[in-house]
Amino acid sequence: MHSGYLRFALVLAFCISLPAWGQSAGPQNTVGNGGDFSSNTHPMEKQKVPAGVILVKGAWASASDSVTPLPEGGSVTNNAFDDQYFGMTYTLPPDWIEKHKGPPPSDSGRYVLAQITPAPTYKGPARGSILITAQDMFFTPLPAANALELINYTKSTLQADYKVELKPTETRIAGHSFTFFGYWSPVAELHWYVVATQIRCHTVELVLTSRDTKLLQSLILDMDKMKLPEEAGSTTGMGGGAAPVCIKDYAREDNVIERVDPVFTERRFNPVPVRIIIDKKGKVKHIHFLSAFPEQAKAISAALGQWKFRPYLRNGQPVEVETGIMFGRAPLAATPPASGPATE
Amino acid sequence: MSRKIPLLFAKTVVMLICMALLFTAMALAQTDPGVRSTTGVNAGQPFASVTANANDLAFFQTGLAQFDERQTVTGDNNGLGPRFNSDGCGQCHSQPAPGGTSPASAIFPNIGPNPQSQVIANGVVSGNTNTIPFFVHANGPVREARFPFFFNSDGTANLNNPNGGVEDLFTVSGRADAGTCSLQQPSFNAANAAGNIIFRIPTPVFGAGLMANIDDSTLQNNRANNLNNNFGIGGDFNHNGNDGTISRFGWKAQNKSLMIFAGEAYNVEMGISNELFTQDRPLPGEDGNGGTGGTGLPANCLNLAGNGYPEDITHSDGTNASTVASDVGLFNAFMQFLDQPTASTTTPGGATSIANGRALFSAIGCAVCHTASLRTQASHLTPGLGNATANLFSDLEIHHMGTGLADNVGQGGAGGDQFRTAPLWGLGQRIFFLHDGRTTDLIQAINAHDSSGSEADIPIDNFQSLSPSQQQDLLNFLRSL
Repeated sequence: MHSGYLRFALVLAFCISLPAWGQSAGPQNTVGNGGDFSSNTHPMEKQKVPAGVILVKGAWASASDSVTPLPEGGSVTNNAFDDQYFGMTYTLPPDWIEKHKGPPPSDSGRYVLAQITPAPTYKGPARGSILITAQDMFFTPLPAANALELINYTKSTLQADYKVELKPTETRIAGHSFTFFGYWSPVAELHWYVVATQIRCHTVELVLTSRDTKLLQSLILDMDKMKLPEEAGSTTGMGGGAAPVCIKDYAREDNVIERVDPVFTERRFNPVPVRIIIDKKGKVKHIHFLSAFPEQAKAISAALGQWKFRPYLRNGQPVEVETGIMFGRAPLAATPPASGPATE
Repeated sequence: MSRKIPLLFAKTVVMLICMALLFTAMALAQTDPGVRSTTGVNAGQPFASVTANANDLAFFQTGLAQFDERQTVTGDNNGLGPRFNSDGCGQCHSQPAPGGTSPASAIFPNIGPNPQSQVIANGVVSGNTNTIPFFVHANGPVREARFPFFFNSDGTANLNNPNGGVEDLFTVSGRADAGTCSLQQPSFNAANAAGNIIFRIPTPVFGAGLMANIDDSTLQNNRANNLNNNFGIGGDFNHNGNDGTISRFGWKAQNKSLMIFAGEAYNVEMGISNELFTQDRPLPGEDGNGGTGGTGLPANCLNLAGNGYPEDITHSDGTNASTVASDVGLFNAFMQFLDQPTASTTTPGGATSIANGRALFSAIGCAVCHTASLRTQASHLTPGLGNATANLFSDLEIHHMGTGLADNVGQGGAGGDQFRTAPLWGLGQRIFFLHDGRTTDLIQAINAHDSSGSEADIPIDNFQSLSPSQQQDLLNFLRSL
């Protein structure tokens, strides 16, 4: 009995030792921590990588300070879209919300300022959307110098999928001149009403989309309550008042007294559109990178800090001026497609 | 008894009404038609101009054979590992034909299960030293794993230390032909627990030669014209770091050419060094990146084939193009000679529905990014590639896709939320969608484009504004591709 128990124990010990021997042919490295390895399979919830957050950014918008308002700095609060840079406040229709923030500005100077859609509680007969965008006219690849020209270009290049409902027409909304343009898609049965004005050398557009033209008309009427800066207009909107005057290509050679080129540490090939505000003494007061990698922004900031401009005079007095400079490769300008525009 | 008959009758009537309503609702609701299975396999053929040229055809066929070949650590097809995701290109790029993407056993044309789920069963890796990662399933997609960040010493992700490189799933350790090389798999479970893992599925390469042969100016012009849209869509290009031209292959358009694409995949996915990527590749942290202190692969895991480096070379003793070419050269030849998939004009849903869906796709803004077609430039390779219309449904730009799709992996100029517009040709016979293969349902894939920071939010709003029958037309169109 006793020897039988001993034999059993020996056999059991041998069997147990087999897998251990087998393990000796296994990985030499033991699981550690760091690099590609971790033994922590139960991290605290707060230590996890946050989901739904963009932590690794490519070329992105940034600025030299956090105080000066930026075009992309608008937000929807208390049921109103407010953008301090554009001096614009738009009260949302009842039961409409901003479901998602828009993407960052593009390197062609295109901003999605807000995307407004009906809330789940909305009881209206049809869905729709209100897209508020801005196009920096310093950097647009399209052949247009102001809001009116931009809308006219849109109309002239409208694809054959669409039919024009209302030719670009001058109208007044909230006491300011806008260009109003309407078109629709017969196949999708969707209508687009676009109203555009210019503020600080940006074409600001409100694009309304729905199957229901009555809804669109009521949304347009509602826009009369919008608050806009005095300068806003289809062919005006060149800054001034509380905002700096905006002038395209002010950073041309004859206005730059001292210029230092940025020294880039890494070779990139992306366009880097930059808006700057030049103070009354001709120094760069504020830099806004529409799209730049951090090391590009750093190098350009260091250079622009040393630039000296000829002060801009208005009525013989120096005033602040806002202009744009494209560092890196500028995007190709648009050439209208060969196919004809949409029919009316 | 007599009172029960009317009651029973009433119950039956109510039940029939409910069923009628249910079936009506089902009929009205739009559904993904699924993988197109009645029109044959619509991809995987060479250009007619390749077929017509005996030398080119031989090159293509040798390339196809090499593409489908299974590699081993030593022996005739040597070089595999020491780390790898699969032992053959054709293992992962197989749906619905060689050159495609992830297969499934139960879905047309029934290629087979996810090959990564079978590597222990078929002896490609040792079950003593490797386990099948938790995210690999027989009926799921082939997956590549990446850790967006390196780990801290306490096992949490270091958000200030981006990683993003490929963490190969398997090692050769324990294989009879791997000698004493002993490596452990990356910490997939720990990475998952830390929320520090993302996936990619194989991109199909049908028509890839056409994509390679679109001149940069064509892409730039297309972009400039597309910027004139009322959908809030911008778009950028990823650029090759060497010459600044537009790169275009891979989920983030990070690879410049098919040759680079092939060379990188051979090295990263299969562990085979070649004339483009000349060393065996350690894991991102294994070679010291991220301040890990690693010094590379252990000496007993190097040169396992015993032939020196690179493991895949151009053969100076070859007697014709096919035998002189390196494996990577053959992959390149195979991919660039693969014609674009053939769309169906009638299936699913009929010609009218498909045509309607195509028009809707354009009208609601999808085609701003998913550009229907682009012209190629003149080709020195084969007439089929030159001055041709590539119906790729992509602008080859990278776009911000928002928080819902962001993977926090930067590649070249593409940030963590930017992805190349996925070419849609051949979509009708794809099983898994989006970069990580998270869904097989086309409707879910469409709706996943809608999240904070996405350039596609407005087109998706427009899609949701369409009637169910219009949405069905659009789905039918996509499945006709």
